[in-house]
Amino acid sequence: MIAEQLPQTPLVRPHRQSFLHIAWRVISARPSRILGLVIIVFFALMAIVGPLLYPHNLPINPNAIYAPPSLRYPLGTDFEGTSNLALIVTGARYVLFAALMAALFTVFFGTTIGLVSGYFLGPADTILMRITDFILTIPGFPLLVVLSTVWNFGQPIAMGFVLGITGWGGLARAVRSQTLSLRERGFIEAARGLGLPWWQIVFWEILPNMGPYIAMNLLVSITGGIYAEVGLFYLGVVPFHVNNWGVMLNLAVFTGGAMQSPQALPYLLSPLVCILLLTLGVVLFLDAMDEMFNPRLREG
Amino acid sequence: MSLHDPVPAPEDAGIQIRNLTVSYDTDRGRFHALNDVTLDIRPRHITGFIGESGSGKTTLAMAMMNAIHNPGRIDGGSVLLEGAGDVLRLKGEELRRLHGRYFGFVFQASSNSLNPLKRIGAQLMDLGRSHGVTDLRALLREAKTLAERMGMDGDRVLTSYQHELSGGMRQRVGIIFALVLKARVIILDEPTTALDMLSQQAVLEIVRTIHQERGLTTVIITHDMGVVAEMADRVVVLYAGRVVEEGPTQSVLRHPRHPYTRGLIHAIPRITGNLHDVEPLQGTPPDLATIPTIGCVFRERCPIRAPICDTVAPTPTSAHGDGIVTCHGVDQHD
Amino acid sequence: MGLINMIEVRGLVKTFPARGGLLSQKAVQAVKGVSFTIPDAGAVAFIGESGCGKTTIGRILTGLETYDSGEIYYNGQNLTSLTPRERQERLRKIQLIQQDPYAALNPARTIYQTLMAPLTWEAKRQQKNRDWMERRAREVLELVGLNPDVVLGKYPHMLSGGQRQRVVIARALTVQPDVLVADEAVSMIDVSLRLGILTLLQALRRDYGIALLFITHDIAAARYIGHDGRVYVIYQGEIVEQAATDELIQSPVHPYTQALLSAIPVLRGLEQPGPDRHIPLGEFALAEGNGCRFAPRCRFAEQRCRDEKPPEVAWQHEEHRHTCHYPTPRRVVPEPLEAKS
Ligand SMILES: Nc1ncnc2c1ncn2[C@@H]1O[C@H](COP(=O)(O)OP(=O)(O)OP(=O)(O)O)[C@@H](O)[C@H]1O
Ligand SMILES: Nc1ncnc2c1ncn2[C@@H]1O[C@H](COP(=O)(O)OP(=O)(O)OP(=O)(O)O)[C@@H](O)[C@H]1O
Ligand SMILES: [Mg+2]
Ligand SMILES: [Mg+2]
Repeated sequence: MIAEQLPQTPLVRPHRQSFLHIAWRVISARPSRILGLVIIVFFALMAIVGPLLYPHNLPINPNAIYAPPSLRYPLGTDFEGTSNLALIVTGARYVLFAALMAALFTVFFGTTIGLVSGYFLGPADTILMRITDFILTIPGFPLLVVLSTVWNFGQPIAMGFVLGITGWGGLARAVRSQTLSLRERGFIEAARGLGLPWWQIVFWEILPNMGPYIAMNLLVSITGGIYAEVGLFYLGVVPFHVNNWGVMLNLAVFTGGAMQSPQALPYLLSPLVCILLLTLGVVLFLDAMDEMFNPRLREG
Repeated sequence: MSLHDPVPAPEDAGIQIRNLTVSYDTDRGRFHALNDVTLDIRPRHITGFIGESGSGKTTLAMAMMNAIHNPGRIDGGSVLLEGAGDVLRLKGEELRRLHGRYFGFVFQASSNSLNPLKRIGAQLMDLGRSHGVTDLRALLREAKTLAERMGMDGDRVLTSYQHELSGGMRQRVGIIFALVLKARVIILDEPTTALDMLSQQAVLEIVRTIHQERGLTTVIITHDMGVVAEMADRVVVLYAGRVVEEGPTQSVLRHPRHPYTRGLIHAIPRITGNLHDVEPLQGTPPDLATIPTIGCVFRERCPIRAPICDTVAPTPTSAHGDGIVTCHGVDQHD
Repeated sequence: MGLINMIEVRGLVKTFPARGGLLSQKAVQAVKGVSFTIPDAGAVAFIGESGCGKTTIGRILTGLETYDSGEIYYNGQNLTSLTPRERQERLRKIQLIQQDPYAALNPARTIYQTLMAPLTWEAKRQQKNRDWMERRAREVLELVGLNPDVVLGKYPHMLSGGQRQRVVIARALTVQPDVLVADEAVSMIDVSLRLGILTLLQALRRDYGIALLFITHDIAAARYIGHDGRVYVIYQGEIVEQAATDELIQSPVHPYTQALLSAIPVLRGLEQPGPDRHIPLGEFALAEGNGCRFAPRCRFAEQRCRDEKPPEVAWQHEEHRHTCHYPTPRRVVPEPLEAKS
């Protein structure tokens, strides 16, 4: 008598594979998302395999200094006659890896601190939010300049760490306020009543509800990271150790005089266009995040 | 009739709904939420719409006002409102004026539809302005009187924000919004869900008095048979977007003809009588995608299912004197 | 047996502290010295208006809220004397079924994940393996009348309200509770499905000896969780009347109980209003001084009611208790019309 009549359908248990499945369905729903994905994958591949395609020391050519784009040099050359294309490709790894690291650190710190702060409230919250406010108010850029004098930014992970550690404040605040509203919801009370430990409630019950938001933040933080590091290198406040897009911009403007003479323009534009293109890719891809991580929008 | 000439709405605003069909576009396709609904809403009567969640009660009420929005669409039919013609043919400014003059709508969960950032009085004035009321002062006075008649402190309510009011008070404020513009047709969508019994009675009492005083056409949407039984003169039973039974409330309650209506009445926990007289309705309410498109929509849960139900949709037949019932089994079962 | 009291609560008091700041609030004394017992496998219902403190008591019992004073005995053991850790362990066996089945399930997790979370800990405690967990998950779903193959892989939004509430009950069953506290567990569910949930709760009681605390403002529903049930009527944080369910319905003596019962809609055509039906409507002043809290709304109130707080006394026999100076039984509930031919 208490049984409800239900249609028989086979058991579908959620497993990891099905996420890729969902992701693909969501992405393929709109051409713009596919384009965004293609751009992102293109740059990711460039960063991963690109440097392997070129010798460690890129060849220079004294006869082709600031050469315009040609068949041999599709994007022109720099002040030494090195192919801009080669510079872009080999420079991508540092820039993108550092940006990815920066985004991961930002999301990791921002999310964890926001969650813990919002869930526990009380003294933990007070202390964490003081720290957050401090992070929010310290001027990140000057701090980086100072840090760069004592820290070797040759490793992208170091760069990423520093960018991440100065950038999580906003996310932490946002995550905290979402946690505050989620913790009053019935299912969180139920989890507490069932005697689940706090970390399980925080990371397995609350966190998944912020999936779309955090995924979007991750993507946006990547572009943010790129701007920040390229900006640092462009201004020359961080010593150059390796070739990357920011260094290219700096050299194009301050050494090549790209602002005055058109000859260094390809040298200047190549990294700029790359950054814009990557931003475009992220923006196009961003709107897939909500559907990918929001179970409400998935169909069963 | 000029648009700007405020012809008062006629006293008796009956509504004749004919072959109304409404569909929603969902990610699984377009489905009918109302299918060929034909119904008369009588003036000076309280009509109750009853049915399970998803049966189309809200959709029917919105369609009566031609207020179905994306992803919904009115696919066909007509809604004749006395003194105004076919509501479904109106649009834009004309429709808006009609809404202001004729209809007062209390939304489902109306306590959530108040603006949290504005005082109730300010929201009332906005409402008045948007319907071209010139004498806002009179409007507020009217609202205050209504509030007081509902047992609330008028000044306090008008100067409150919504969070300062209890659930029952907010529900009453929703009703004030529906009444101040002197509407002729009042539609209340689940006005008492989530209220306790005493607040529910308070709300129902107000609706009943104002209905009588002003000779309104009132529609109450609910899934609570008790509310219908206390309030409504006539009841419309909806199932999966169809009217399965319609008639005078007492007659329908006493002699339900449709197996669904019977099941609903039998499933109500009662305060007296034998505990074993009640039994749960079998099965689960259908959702749009699983409603059968041929044959009777109720057959999966029907205790008197016959072979004909699988292939032929029943047509309305007369019942309860001037009401209807839509079931193949009515003859052999009564 | 039925003689052992699984839960005994004495003089429970809970005050929500005043909140300062912009939305300043006075301290709310939500529960004012409430005492009640829940027998082993028994059924107890709390009824009362919105804001009378029903939910607060339920939350205290399930360990989600603290209390200021009073004692809670659980299987004869005073919980107040336990360490918080031990208390937590005990209270896990008292599970709350919330009113809103839409908020009670995590929208981002499938039913499978929802059930596995508590089962993981249960398995650890009982040293069981993953196989046991999977079997148990299917078992609890079958217990609440759901087909595991159909619901396990679904997200809550793919289920109807009635199915969700069944999942919520299934989740509570994963920890093998002694008591289920059902807080308005059916009021947001379609009327046609309500009875199904009520029968389910009754079956859990009968077959597994799970006691029930049923919190509601729909008294009719309280009848369906068991014929041996007991009802406590709460007014502004105090119990004003208590009796066996049917006795309370048929001969309530406190005017507040009578008001609540009068407010039950009458199914005209099938029932007629009780001869003494009276519904107090409209706003009322809060009680001042130390008289009866209900006096300002009571149409039978005398001067004595305003001056003197009525003590709790028995009416006719020990099991029917009330706090009214002038108790009078009245017939207020709807009565079935004579069966027509
Ligand atoms: N905006 C919408 N988009 C898609 N489907 C909709 C929409 N609004 C309603 N529906 C569907 O139309 C059907 C009828 O809905 P409606 O809201 O009219 O039901 P109801 O009887 O008012 O139910 P309830 O008691 O839950 O309010 C339901 O199956 C619902 O899922
Ligand atoms: N966290 C809280 N902080 C302050 N006051 C509270 C809190 N929770 C409840 N209250 C107050 O305590 C009183 C009792 O609330 P409770 O939720 O227990 O009532 P209830 O009987 O369950 O009502 P309902 O039928 O509306 O659910 C109310 O006046 C309420 O405003
Ligand atoms: Mg509705
Ligand atoms: Mg409550």
